[in-house]
Amino acid sequence: MTRSAKLTTGLVLAGLIVLFGLIGPLLTGDPATIRDIGLIPPGGDHLLGTTITGQDVLAQLTHATRGSLWIGLLVGVMATVLSGVFGIVGAYAGGVVDEVFSLFSNVMLVIPGLPLVIVVAGFVPADQRGTWTISLVLAITGWAAAARVLRAQTLSLRNRDYVAAARVSGEKTWRVICVEILPNLLPILASQFVFAVVLAILSEAGLSFLGLGAADSSTLGTMLYYAQNGFALQREAWWWFVPPGLIIALFGGALALINFSIDEIINPALRDKARRRGDVVATTPVVESGDAVLTVHDLNVVYQGASPVHAVKDVSLTLRRGEILGLAGESGCGKTTLAYAINRLHRPPAEVTSGSVVFDGIDVLALDPEELRRFRWVRLSMVFQGAMNSLNPVTPIRAQLQDVLRTHRPSMSSSDREDRCAEVLRLVGVDPARLGSYPHELSGGMRQRVMIAMALLLEPQVMIMDEPTTALDVLVQREILNEIKRLRDELRFAVVFITHDLPLLLELSDRIAVMRDGEVVEYATAEEIYLRPQHPYTRRLLASFPSLTGERGALL
Amino acid sequence: MTALEVRDLCKTFHRHRAVDGVSFTLTAGRTVALVGASGSGKSTVARMIARLVRPTSGEITLTGPDGSPVPDRAYRDHVQMIFQDPFASLNPFHTVEHHLARPLLLHGRSRAEVPHLLERVSLSPDFARRRPHELSGGQRQRVAIARALAPGAKVIVADEPVSMLDVSIRLGVLKLLDRLQREEDLAVLYITHDLATARHFSDEVLVMHQGRVVERGPSDDVLLRPQDPYTRRLAAAAPNPDTRFHLGGSS
Repeated sequence: MTRSAKLTTGLVLAGLIVLFGLIGPLLTGDPATIRDIGLIPPGGDHLLGTTITGQDVLAQLTHATRGSLWIGLLVGVMATVLSGVFGIVGAYAGGVVDEVFSLFSNVMLVIPGLPLVIVVAGFVPADQRGTWTISLVLAITGWAAAARVLRAQTLSLRNRDYVAAARVSGEKTWRVICVEILPNLLPILASQFVFAVVLAILSEAGLSFLGLGAADSSTLGTMLYYAQNGFALQREAWWWFVPPGLIIALFGGALALINFSIDEIINPALRDKARRRGDVVATTPVVESGDAVLTVHDLNVVYQGASPVHAVKDVSLTLRRGEILGLAGESGCGKTTLAYAINRLHRPPAEVTSGSVVFDGIDVLALDPEELRRFRWVRLSMVFQGAMNSLNPVTPIRAQLQDVLRTHRPSMSSSDREDRCAEVLRLVGVDPARLGSYPHELSGGMRQRVMIAMALLLEPQVMIMDEPTTALDVLVQREILNEIKRLRDELRFAVVFITHDLPLLLELSDRIAVMRDGEVVEYATAEEIYLRPQHPYTRRLLASFPSLTGERGALL
Repeated sequence: MTALEVRDLCKTFHRHRAVDGVSFTLTAGRTVALVGASGSGKSTVARMIARLVRPTSGEITLTGPDGSPVPDRAYRDHVQMIFQDPFASLNPFHTVEHHLARPLLLHGRSRAEVPHLLERVSLSPDFARRRPHELSGGQRQRVAIARALAPGAKVIVADEPVSMLDVSIRLGVLKLLDRLQREEDLAVLYITHDLATARHFSDEVLVMHQGRVVERGPSDDVLLRPQDPYTRRLAAAAPNPDTRFHLGGSS
């Protein structure tokens, strides 16, 4: 079922039941009227039959639905307010307040809800056990889980810069919470409210069924209680207990459907997947060229959708053995899409609509999944942006490096594996003694070196590096750039280096392709680009980086 | 004349000295750059000046335009901050109008000044109705600058104001800040890891390393003829194609 179908079904069902509870009592007469026609089956004057004392089941049902909904609403509001106060205020205030509030929520969370409700409800004398008392008891036992969720979310929101900005501009605390934080919590509050309503209606039905419910109101639970006491089951009077049970089940289901959709709206990961076609729709005949290890010819990549985005347009590039090719461009220019497409790592809705990618005689776009698996990492490896954060935090470096070898070189002996892992770490300037370290024990620069080591493990001919140093500071960046140059000279692999930092590419690469809006606007040697840039965009990009040593004030 | 004096500022987080004895003065019409690598403590200094973080020790004193010290409750009328990430510093739920009107109202001004504020940062008045997701990174940062100007602040702390922006629009935003600084006689603290823009856009440079200021002085002196070994390493590490193609440069 799609999101909208779920939401519609949920809303229609819940709406019908609410209408039934609101309008029904006005049409069905007094549910308490006792007649001398006990337990007649549905039909005639009594559409849903009568109870053992001759009361009209339909009339009882409408009143009971209204009673249950009212309790659900009361509890929903109270539990949401309680969870909001304890979750949001505690998290925003921090310090001792947060400690005390979360200790309290945690204690409430481990107290088993229903038994506590039974004890509390049983403790209050039956004649004082009104709707409000029961609702209060249910709210008090039902808010803690929601408070935990809200606290976690608020903790993340309170550190957002826009909250800091509101504080700097002098906003009062209550306004920061109500105006800046609360709106961003609305989806969660809504879903917690709906959940609290369902839980309240179910718990109240349970309580009433046990005879511990509100004395002054009739709910679906009290109906079931009387049906049980009147031996409805034994007398096969199904019309007495099936309808209230059905309404509870349908309303619970309807709200669950609504809640599910709220979840999907918030969580992008649950949104509908794009329609799946192949990742490669069409290719053009392969063009080979002599010294090239990687040739991209007239490649086009399109993000299919309501308005398709042509992310890579007719791109042709040649990477020679041992060459460093710089791919320069700003966000959204298609450079990362291009890199992914070369490796066939692009995911739907991205599609290669035409062109060819030839790697050392292999037509990459024609590989089947198994061939692709053997090709990737072995022949061509990749270092992603922020790769240093993609190491698994709970396993040591050794295990993560060895995994690669185990997958791609199953025949390798364990001592050879160990040797190879130590060797690549030495190559990137990390002490092999660190093999036993966990990622958090290494600095950002070291983790990035480990990622490069991992990309080197299988001696690939080409390495694609997507902004490998952007998250690092200049000193660490300098060390890693020197390392890449040295490794390239020693091992003679070729590199595609992607970054927005043109001066870095000018210093590092042999040739540079400048990309904008999916097109390569200029493709030449670093020296040509630096000394004789042809395209206006290249010149603009060059001018965007003031030289440290250039004339001062020239920019102003 | 408005001036902000920072004396012997220290901040300790869980026994780690993030900022250790930093002193400097911001005066109207001058830009001071605070440069350093990530983790050097420069953002913590910014957050202490913006009163988002309480200093462990040290003083921050603000002198108003009339030469007398500014009382605490009026501090935020005079000192404002521009955050690094314009994608995070605007609330996705609110319009540009809200972001500008709130600081105006909080500091005794009128909502009617919103179009004028937008104009000062070179945005047309119809931006007021838009929400952050409808703006580009550069436009967002202009809104953030307008928000900092809204209370009539004369001291602006700009914490890496362009490092999250696309390279081709960075200089435009820096030039805007520079123009505002000169036109409105602002005192600006420009925090950055980029030595080149620090040199071009500031009068004085302070280099921070592990919480301390290791070198300070007029920007050309510090960045072209660095004395401290750390500053030298920093200056040498920045990519510089000049050296590869044997062109100019002082090295």
